[in-house]
Amino acid sequence: MKRQKIKYYVVENKMDELSSLAEKIERLADEWSISQELSMKINLVIEEALSNIILYAFNDKSKHEIRISVSKEDNNLEITFKDDGIPFNPLLQKKPDINLPAEERPVGGLGIFLISQVMDEMHYSRDKNQNILILKKSI
Amino acid sequence: MNIKSEKVQNFTVLRIEGRIDTVRSSVLENEINQLFNNGEKNLILNCKEMNYISSSGLRVFLVAQKKAIALNGKLMLCNMQPGIQEIFRISGFSNLFKIFETQEAALENA
Repeated sequence: MKRQKIKYYVVENKMDELSSLAEKIERLADEWSISQELSMKINLVIEEALSNIILYAFNDKSKHEIRISVSKEDNNLEITFKDDGIPFNPLLQKKPDINLPAEERPVGGLGIFLISQVMDEMHYSRDKNQNILILKKSI
Repeated sequence: MNIKSEKVQNFTVLRIEGRIDTVRSSVLENEINQLFNNGEKNLILNCKEMNYISSSGLRVFLVAQKKAIALNGKLMLCNMQPGIQEIFRISGFSNLFKIFETQEAALENA
């Protein structure tokens, strides 16, 4: 029998929202008996995706809400982000060359790459005025 | 996040505790910059109590390494937790640093 657990979060487009959200995700991991290692990875992908949205999806100074859901069904973990920013597809970001020496390694551009390494699937879609990013991992 | 600093032989050791995330990474960056600005060239970052790092934290490590190289100094990392080691591995950062199991091993290989 499949049992789905799902939790919803709404955050504002401010970086300092990340800390309180991280604490909530840690509590969720406890509730769902998720290992500390996996909980760290969930926190990582949420931080990377959210900070990208906050930095790049909004070109006005207004307050925006970003909706996040985290769900677990058997061994499948899914994290979804919805925002009403400008069309922004993180999957189009250029992959960093991780073989360069430190002197030549550009600073930055690692966030989305880390998500792609930690998660199994990344999907982006634009629905009316919304960016929808779905991340999946079998755990 | 907490950072404790001590001088061991000719190295400054920073013990990084807690989370190095987007919100807090600048604290570590400032601490490291201050050391470089005060003439320190040799750093050991002891990561025993560091339990989380995101891309903004990795950026601080990379910037520190670039500075250490430019100054002809040494930057070494030690005592990394397995989860953190994995983040370093998947981002290709394992190859950018000298990483040791223990602080003693780092000092011996200095």
